[in-house]
Formats: sequence, C-alpha cells, structure tokens
Amino acid sequence: MFRNPLLLVALALTGAVALWGIIDNQGLADFAALLVGVQFISRAWFIMLVVSLILVVGMGLALSPYGSIKLGRDDDKPEFGTVSWLTMLFAAGMGVGLLFWGTAEPVTHYAAIKAFSPDRDAASVALFLTNFHWGFHAWAIYGVTGLVIAYFGFRLGCPSLVSAPIVKVFGSNRITVAVGWLADLMAIVAIAIGLGGSVAMGVFQVKDGVDALFGLTDTGMGLTLGILAILVLSYILPLTVDLGRGMAVLSNAAMAVAGFLMVFLLLFGPTHFIMGGIVQSFGEYLGGFFVQGFRTLTFLDDSVGNWFQSWTLTYMVWWLAWAPFVGVFIARISRGRTIREYIAGVMLVPTAFSIVWFGVFGGIGFYAELHTDVPILEVVQNNVSQTTFFVLKQFPLQSLTIAGVVIAAFLFLVTSVVSAAFVLGMFSTGGDLNPSVRVKLSWAAVLGALGLVMILSGSIDAVKQIIALGALPFVFIVVLLIVCLLKALKKETV
Amino acid sequence: MEIDPLTDTIMNIEVFAFIGLMVWLYFRTENEEGDGVDD
Repeated sequence: MFRNPLLLVALALTGAVALWGIIDNQGLADFAALLVGVQFISRAWFIMLVVSLILVVGMGLALSPYGSIKLGRDDDKPEFGTVSWLTMLFAAGMGVGLLFWGTAEPVTHYAAIKAFSPDRDAASVALFLTNFHWGFHAWAIYGVTGLVIAYFGFRLGCPSLVSAPIVKVFGSNRITVAVGWLADLMAIVAIAIGLGGSVAMGVFQVKDGVDALFGLTDTGMGLTLGILAILVLSYILPLTVDLGRGMAVLSNAAMAVAGFLMVFLLLFGPTHFIMGGIVQSFGEYLGGFFVQGFRTLTFLDDSVGNWFQSWTLTYMVWWLAWAPFVGVFIARISRGRTIREYIAGVMLVPTAFSIVWFGVFGGIGFYAELHTDVPILEVVQNNVSQTTFFVLKQFPLQSLTIAGVVIAAFLFLVTSVVSAAFVLGMFSTGGDLNPSVRVKLSWAAVLGALGLVMILSGSIDAVKQIIALGALPFVFIVVLLIVCLLKALKKETV
Repeated sequence: MEIDPLTDTIMNIEVFAFIGLMVWLYFRTENEEGDGVDD
C-alpha cells in the first residue's frame, strides 16, 4: 500500500481537504466559493459547450455505423437482463439526489421565476429546467465516460482506469504517463469530494426524516452527527467481507421503495393535475433540451447569472464529479452490449424516469402552491431538506412513507459509499479489480471525513461549491477521453 | 461577483489553448505519434 505514490498522494490530498474543512470550515467554504465563482464566470461558456459536445458525441455514436460495435469481444453476451441492467444504471447515477430534490428543486425554480418574471408560466418553466438538469445531458456525461472505460477495458483489454485510454492511444512515454497519472488523481479527487457531498446531503435528509417521523424539533447537530456515525459503522462491514451481489440487492430495494413512493403519490395526489404536468413537460423537454444546452444566459441580469451558476453549472460539474465513479460502474454492467444499445439504455430510460419523477413530486408542490394554502414555498426556502417529508405529511400513511424515504436514503448512501470506496481503491492501485480491504477502508475513512466536513458547513450551497471545486478539472479530462475514444474508433472496421 | 479582466483573459487563453491542443491531437497522423492503438 505504501509503495504506491498515486494512492499516497490521492489519500494525502483528499485527507488534507477533509482536515482543512474540519479545522477551518468557513475558510474552506470561502476558498471554494471564490475559486468556483471565478471559474463559473470566466468559463461558463466552455462548461456548457463541453456538456453539449458530450451529448452530441453520445447521440452521434449511437446513430452512426460505430453504434454496432460491441463493448467486449464480438461473441460476448450481456451479463444482465435488460430490466435489471436498466434498474442498476438508474440507481447508480441518481440515488439519494432524487429523494432530496424531487419537490424542492422545481419549487425553488418556480419561486425564482415568479420573482424575476411574474407573467410567465413559472411552473412549466421550472419543470423544464429541472428536467434539463437531470436529463439527457447528465446521462450523456455518465454514458460517454462509461463508454470510454468500457470500450478500452472490454474491447481493447486496458485496465479500468481514466489514464488507460490516454496511454493506449498516444503510446507510453513520459508525457502520456504523467498526464495519465494526473488524470487518475483528478478523477479520484472528484469522486471523493463528490461522494462526500452526497453523504452530507443524504445525512441531512435522513436526519430531517427522523425528526418528522418522531415529531422532534431542535435536534441540531447532535442527531446529524449520530446518523453519520451510524452510516460509517454500516458501511464498514460490507467493505471487509465480499457481499457479492448483496449490494445490488440493497440498491434495488432502495429503488423499489422510491418507485413505490412515486406511484403512491401519483394515485393519492391530484392525479389529473400531475399527469397533465408530466405530459406537458415531456413535450417541452423534447422540444427544448438541445437549445437549452447551449444557453449561457449571458444577456440577462446578475440575479439570473447567479441562479445559473448555482444551479445549471453546478449540476453539470456535479455530474462530471460523479462521472468516473458511475462510468466505471455502468461500464462493468454493460459488457457485451453494442454502443447503440448502451447509449440508448443509459440516456433514454433514466431521463424518461426522471421526467415522471419530477412531474409527480414537482406537480404535488405546484398543486399545493397554486390550489391550496399549504405553505410549500416557505418550507423550501427555509429548510430545503425537509421538503420531501413535508409533502408526505399531506398524505395518508405518512409514518410509513416517511420511514420508507429514510430507509431508502440510508440504503442509497451505504451502497454509494461502498461502491465508491471500491472504485477509489481500484483507481488508486493501478486498476486492481480486487483492492485490499486496507485500501478500501482508508478510502471509506476519507469519504466519512469529507462527509463530516460538508455536514459541518451546514449549508447545501457550501456543499455544492466544494463539490464543484473538486470536479472542475474533470471538464478538461473528459474532453481528452473523448478525443482518445474517437481516435481509437477510427481504427475499427464498421 | 466580479472578475478581474486580466484573470478572465488568461483563463480563457488557457481554454483556447486546450481546445487547440485537442483538435491537433485528434487530427495528428498516426505516423507522427507512434499510435498505440492495435490494428
């Protein structure tokens, strides 16, 4: 373990960020805000251009003759059935974020649009923006990163590392090895910090769920830290023993709870209103997603610019932060599928599910705001992580549904951290498919510490900016990986 | 938040240079680079 410089540097770097955040949390949050703010102002155009380019590459490859190339040997067959493949894809990429933002995000945009332009159909614009953040662009980022890893790993026999395509395509020399090493390091940092942020958001959500379930008030930081401690204890066991498919079962269970919740709210909520919103938002999304990908909102005033930075840009770099982690996972479960099948599965199905999900949760929020006296806007503005539970409290069987969200959020967290510790272990040990328990536990400790840092910041905005700080270098690395993929594909005979 | 014009210029020159490098790498012929991809 101690002879691997990449592992040591990566552990030291992420550990130092964690230590800095614990000692001087405000200092780290201010530093992240300054650096990310400058990048977002100066390079917003480039970030949007890159995510749109990723989408064009993904769709172009699926529709081109290269779409028939298999991710694996020509005689490889897919390891998983299509339904369980799609379920696993979705659980890996979104997880706890959907539970957290289901109602909160559309309603937050609704309030912002109302304040900026009172005459607009704020609810449908808010749903469109939410769908844009969670739709094709997000899944193209995951899908194309995973495609690079799967193509070079399964078809060209490279290790599952971010550096492998660079060394394979440009040959092994001092420059490519150094750039590859840096790319692996940046991927590790982006994953670790991104996961730390998700841990914090998930813990906030579980804590508010426990509050809602037992009618607790003013539980403050004590309960939050207690939940983090339970989470850390819960993921140590799966890291020390090989649970095989056990983690997939837990992840599917969490998805099943989330799916049940969505159907329950659709049926017990204002069904006609929700369905009307879903159908409309499907059309609006399909009609506008491509153009929206190029929108930088340059000609509008500063308040819109600030909104754009703290939502659209943050989401895009957030997906980039998760891309190497989710990419490795979806690559591993997609062996034997063609590029066309892979891109269609990764981009279409999760996007369609997201539109329905936000249509249901957002629709309920809009119905409360437009047709009832329920103070949903106040809840979203005052404590965003309570939103989902506040919504559930308006429905029957609230103890059961709130408990379901708490359990699903907790399961998503455990499975995410266990998978992330595995991927980080793999990346930091030269692509070892069975990293040692000691390496995995070291990463689990760093993830727990980073989660603690984000929790101590006490603010979702600070969490978002610290994640963006870790992910920004990956904007460049993804472009380099795409160049590698396109160059390698030119060698294929199709 | 405001950004210093010089910082803005330098940061964007870096991006232009990166885009140029990527375009050059993509179109660079295999003979020049000793391409590592198997035929």
